[in-house]
Amino acid sequence: MDILKNMALKKLTDIPMEDFLVGGHVACQGCSASLGLRLALKVLGKDTIVINGSGCMTLLPVYPTTPLRVPWIHLAIENTGAAGTALYYALRRKNIKANILGYAGDGATYDIGIQSLSGAAEKNIDMIYICYNNQSFGNTGHQRASSTPRASYTSTTPSGKVEAAKDMPIIMAAHRIPYIATACPSYPIDFLNKVKKAAEVKGMAFIDLLTPCPVGWGFDPAEGINIGRLAVRTGMWKLYEIENGRVNVTYVPKKRKRVSEYLRAQARFSHLSDEDIGAMQAEVDEEWDELEERGYGYELGI
Amino acid sequence: MNTRRMITGNGAAAWGARLSRAEIIPNFPITPQTGIIEEIASWIASGEMDADFLPMESEHSVMSALAAASSAGVRVFSATSSQGLMLMTEMMFVTSGLRLPVILVNVSRGLSAPITLWSDHNDALVQRDSGWLQIFCSNNQEVLDSVVMGYRIAENSEVLLPMMINLDGFTLSATREPVEIPDQDEIDDFLPAYDPEHTILDPKEPMSVGGVVFDEYMYFRSQQRMAMCNSNGVIKDVCAEWEKMTGRRYGLVEPYLPEDAERALVICGSESAILRYTVDKLRKDGEKVGMLRLRAMRPFPCEEIIDALSDVEEIGVIDQDISPGSGGIIATEVKACLGRSVTSFIAGLGGRRIGVEKYEQMFKRLGRDVEEWIF
Repeated sequence: MDILKNMALKKLTDIPMEDFLVGGHVACQGCSASLGLRLALKVLGKDTIVINGSGCMTLLPVYPTTPLRVPWIHLAIENTGAAGTALYYALRRKNIKANILGYAGDGATYDIGIQSLSGAAEKNIDMIYICYNNQSFGNTGHQRASSTPRASYTSTTPSGKVEAAKDMPIIMAAHRIPYIATACPSYPIDFLNKVKKAAEVKGMAFIDLLTPCPVGWGFDPAEGINIGRLAVRTGMWKLYEIENGRVNVTYVPKKRKRVSEYLRAQARFSHLSDEDIGAMQAEVDEEWDELEERGYGYELGI
Repeated sequence: MNTRRMITGNGAAAWGARLSRAEIIPNFPITPQTGIIEEIASWIASGEMDADFLPMESEHSVMSALAAASSAGVRVFSATSSQGLMLMTEMMFVTSGLRLPVILVNVSRGLSAPITLWSDHNDALVQRDSGWLQIFCSNNQEVLDSVVMGYRIAENSEVLLPMMINLDGFTLSATREPVEIPDQDEIDDFLPAYDPEHTILDPKEPMSVGGVVFDEYMYFRSQQRMAMCNSNGVIKDVCAEWEKMTGRRYGLVEPYLPEDAERALVICGSESAILRYTVDKLRKDGEKVGMLRLRAMRPFPCEEIIDALSDVEEIGVIDQDISPGSGGIIATEVKACLGRSVTSFIAGLGGRRIGVEKYEQMFKRLGRDVEEWIF
């Protein structure tokens, strides 16, 4: 499958040099959520307005300084969709042409903000919504969220989470918005082509961006990019798009790494036995076998 | 040409938004407010009003949408009631903190549980610390007038605070009264298009809004307080201009206090109409009574209350609200402002009828520093 064929960006040097999120901010060392925003803004450019839902990224501008060179507004945690809806109409009235980028964490998206997000999706508001997904309420110190994967330690699931993560992209697909994708900043070309598509489609686009969190997940900040790569290469985080009700996998690991390589690299899974990990490996294998059978693409039927 | 029509309080609120050329109307239905957004929806559909009607998924989203659109420099309007206002609470503080001149009409209704559909003022008064200007209306004409004046006050650069305009559910919201509807040209002269000095969401002038502060927090709060202080004078100026244009007089308070008044009741909202009738009736019998209606709850018109009541011997305050464990909310504030004892009457909760007889009873029972429930 030649996924690069139709891509606008092919190599790292195709990524624009100009930055709209610049240095000097106070995000943690090795934070990939801030990297995700920096990369996305490179593609979206200066005519972009960011709406942020409360979370780690809310700490970027600290009065009286800001590392953002595009307009940025934060209202609260649960209303990025509602703010995007209103901003879309307000900009139309003011005759301002700009991308509206919602950038909110997984807790703000999967949990407390799902009502507002659903409202914007139902209205198919022309905005790009990127959920930077560190699989927990990261900013408050890594508490359980509905995006937290099964077995993960969080400070509120000390013995590991019992339930599996919510399947947010499928929930968004049920709203029949034109573009949905998953991504990871460790794969910037894949991610940024998705951002580009998201900006180009008319209507709402949703990207679920896995952003490994050194503090919450428990790994060396220098390893953030590697952890993201391992999440994808082990098959535990799938990169795909959903367009017109069809799922297409955008990256198929040539030879999948063992999930233990990903899990054993993080403190949040350190309590797992070899047996537990074996069961998780079997689950991932089964999913990928099924994907292979379907040619890495299939109709959702919704 | 001004026209005179028989319209409801909800209709008057909608006319206020229409005449003010509000451009974005995020909304969510709730009794007894729904008539306002229905009226606006029909005008937008028929082309009589040029605005975007945004049906949101909750009142929290309504207030979020008001804040976001106002941040982009658009004049916005919405209405709510009771539980809806409670759900907006978080965003009420955000909106005033961001200094956005949003106008919200609250059609007051008692709070659950148990459920009541009828009016009292607890919903509005829960928000009295939210940094919003609060105006309580006594009739439908005042509702329309207050909405239009509201934008002038809220958008004033010395103020830049959101305003809540309260009208009583059903008593006003569903009752038709003759209302003079000013000519659009006249309103356009009075209220120019919203042109914010600080349009804050425009790529031409990037800025970060709603971020984190540390030590400066208290500075921002003091700015908000200063704006609230400034609004006192701005309200008076705008009311004076409105009076010149329409002949209708408003202020922070409405005294109905003949000079010889020895006993007075303080009230707010539409119940003041029946109290006024009671005052007239008692005065015919030679009783030296009067009434003071509070129109502004925020800014709290302390100076005006002192001016009006300094010569009155016995004062009672009627609260259609209760802060359990403390007392009538308005009585507490009036007491603090006057520095003397007042009789606090808790009445009309959940729309319970008060009526002439009960007002007469209250006038008889003044002069004691107690809280009395009038069922």
